Amino acid sequence: MKTIIKKEIKMMLREKGNLFFLIIMPILFIVMFGSIFGKTDHFSLTIHYIDDDATSMSSAFIHQVDQVKGVKMVHEKASDLPDVIDKIKKGQLSFLLVVNDGFEASLKDGKQAHIKFYQDPAMESEGGTIEAILQSIADDYRKQKIMNTLHALGQSNEAIAKTLEPAVHIKKITPAVESINTITQVVPGMTVMFVFYIMISMTRRFFKEKDSRLLSRCQSTGMKPIEYLIGMWIPYALGVVVQCTVLLAFGHFVYHLHLGDLKALCLLILALSLCGSGIGLALSVLVRGENQGMAITQVVALGGAMVGGLWVPSYLLPSLVQKIGHLTPQFWAQKGLQDIFAHGAGVSGIWLSLVILFAFGLAGLFIAVIRLPHFLKSAA
Amino acid sequence: MNQMDLKNPQPNRETLLEVDHLRKTFGKLEALKNVTFSVNTGSCFGLLGPNGAGKSTTMKILAGILSADSGSARLLGKNVLLDKSVVAKNVGYVPQEITLYEEFTALENLTFFGELYGVKGRELRKRTEKVLEDTGLAERARDKVKTFSGGMKRRINIGCALLHRPRLLILDEPTVGIDPQSRNRIFEMIRKLTEEGVTVIYSTHYMEEVEQLCDEAAIIDHGEVMAHGPLGELLERYGRKAVYLEVTGLKEIPQHPLIKAANREGIGWILESENLPELMQWLLSVASNQRWEVKQLDIVRPSLEQVFLTVTGTALRD
Repeated sequence: MKTIIKKEIKMMLREKGNLFFLIIMPILFIVMFGSIFGKTDHFSLTIHYIDDDATSMSSAFIHQVDQVKGVKMVHEKASDLPDVIDKIKKGQLSFLLVVNDGFEASLKDGKQAHIKFYQDPAMESEGGTIEAILQSIADDYRKQKIMNTLHALGQSNEAIAKTLEPAVHIKKITPAVESINTITQVVPGMTVMFVFYIMISMTRRFFKEKDSRLLSRCQSTGMKPIEYLIGMWIPYALGVVVQCTVLLAFGHFVYHLHLGDLKALCLLILALSLCGSGIGLALSVLVRGENQGMAITQVVALGGAMVGGLWVPSYLLPSLVQKIGHLTPQFWAQKGLQDIFAHGAGVSGIWLSLVILFAFGLAGLFIAVIRLPHFLKSAA
Repeated sequence: MNQMDLKNPQPNRETLLEVDHLRKTFGKLEALKNVTFSVNTGSCFGLLGPNGAGKSTTMKILAGILSADSGSARLLGKNVLLDKSVVAKNVGYVPQEITLYEEFTALENLTFFGELYGVKGRELRKRTEKVLEDTGLAERARDKVKTFSGGMKRRINIGCALLHRPRLLILDEPTVGIDPQSRNRIFEMIRKLTEEGVTVIYSTHYMEEVEQLCDEAAIIDHGEVMAHGPLGELLERYGRKAVYLEVTGLKEIPQHPLIKAANREGIGWILESENLPELMQWLLSVASNQRWEVKQLDIVRPSLEQVFLTVTGTALRD
């Protein structure tokens, strides 16, 4: 077995494609996804506005909206109103806010002031957010109006403040040890996704040995089949450990990814390694050829990445996709890593992820052992 | 016309391998119907047959790669179909394909196969050195196999099967796709091995290779051994007995009970007979009486090609 392991490690190191697919490509993806989705940390909604009133109060209102984090106001001329509405119809612009003439006068007279909000129907969810923002600002105006009325009725400031105190107070608390940002999504996500690409390397090696008759020749030396299988598996399991270590170290040193509990992290990497290489081993002896192996790997790696929440957080996916995602090892690996990185989880906090990943890996090994005689027979 | 010398087996040699009624099917295809032969210790045994005859299947069974449906194969008295350890210890198998790691050096390939055969440490180093010398590749030991010529790859391919010093070396068409010079080099290696006491089974569809190398042979076709034994015996038993006669201007051969068949061969005649000395005597007397101008009168040596034709009823096909 030692002989097979030594040989396979040498083969892995000498095949340049392995370094590219298992290390360089994931790093490129981390950098690329990091730079694209990193910008969503400064996500902003652009609202075009026309100020027909052009008074200090209408300007103050627009300024107040502009001050909301994540909102950017863009001025349009009043004369351009039909054009802007047309652009919204065509989906070229998303939102338009029109402050009607008489806004300030209405407020001063204690009457209801009017604003109009146009939105692209395709941007309904974002439109809801803006509506809530505008409603919140309108509430401030309403409060001010009530305060003025109560003052006029001779109430003290304390009494007014108590009257206007919200019935429900919402306190924002972030329980995560480290803030969850793009990097805590992208680095583990890409690491987990590319772990499953080891399956291509494994399938390719098994079929190279089979098709070149090297496997058949090795069989004539009295080599035990199980020793061959384990000898072929261990180098790839080690390869995944190295791959995860390099990618997470890259995330740590380049993007300041907080690694959390190292004991838990090591265990999770081992579980992920067993899972990826175990499934790879099963696939290698199950498929009919290298091309079939590559196609299945793409489905497993990309499909699992998509539904397992490796590209975008799982909670952003439709509920049915989320449910399907829970059946994939990728979801549990990502969850385990994020629990360690962002939620400060130790071994006890990720036990379910560990159990599920080990179970997938052991199932792969079991299938490989069962299927091995058939594979060896076909190699003869 | 074949001018081969008749080879005779060495007398009273022990039987190393006995193959008895081997049968193997792949689905509906009956690859081996009835393969029976025996190989004497120290001999070079030729397994001759066209592509698809069952040579490789037979060799793979003997090398422990394939199992047989029925029959037995006893090596040193032990059934190799049941006891794989006897194969691993005593058999070196060289497949038809070049089965080497191209990215590895010659030394790395030899070390890998040596370790698989269970040879280790200093002994392995000693044996790899000897194999490198025997294959004439000592100077290229640390070069990657992918930089080797076809002939060099073939030699190291054989070398990889020698590290555990097998009693029986199975070579499956080891000269496919190489130049005559490399082929002669491989022949030299095989002759040296048989001199050292290694028994060789040499599979080929080239008759001349068997004629040059082997002292025993089996003719296999459609999964059946049609004839086997010492080469001399095969030629004697199945070879055509004939003389070649060339006479100026002779247009017809007179009929005589001694002549079994008379056929034109170039500008002469091939006359087949069961009694060649009497036939030649008769021909000389006729030549004298009828004043023939005899240019050539020779005994035609039997060839394996004729043996094959007699045994299988067809010419050796690719």
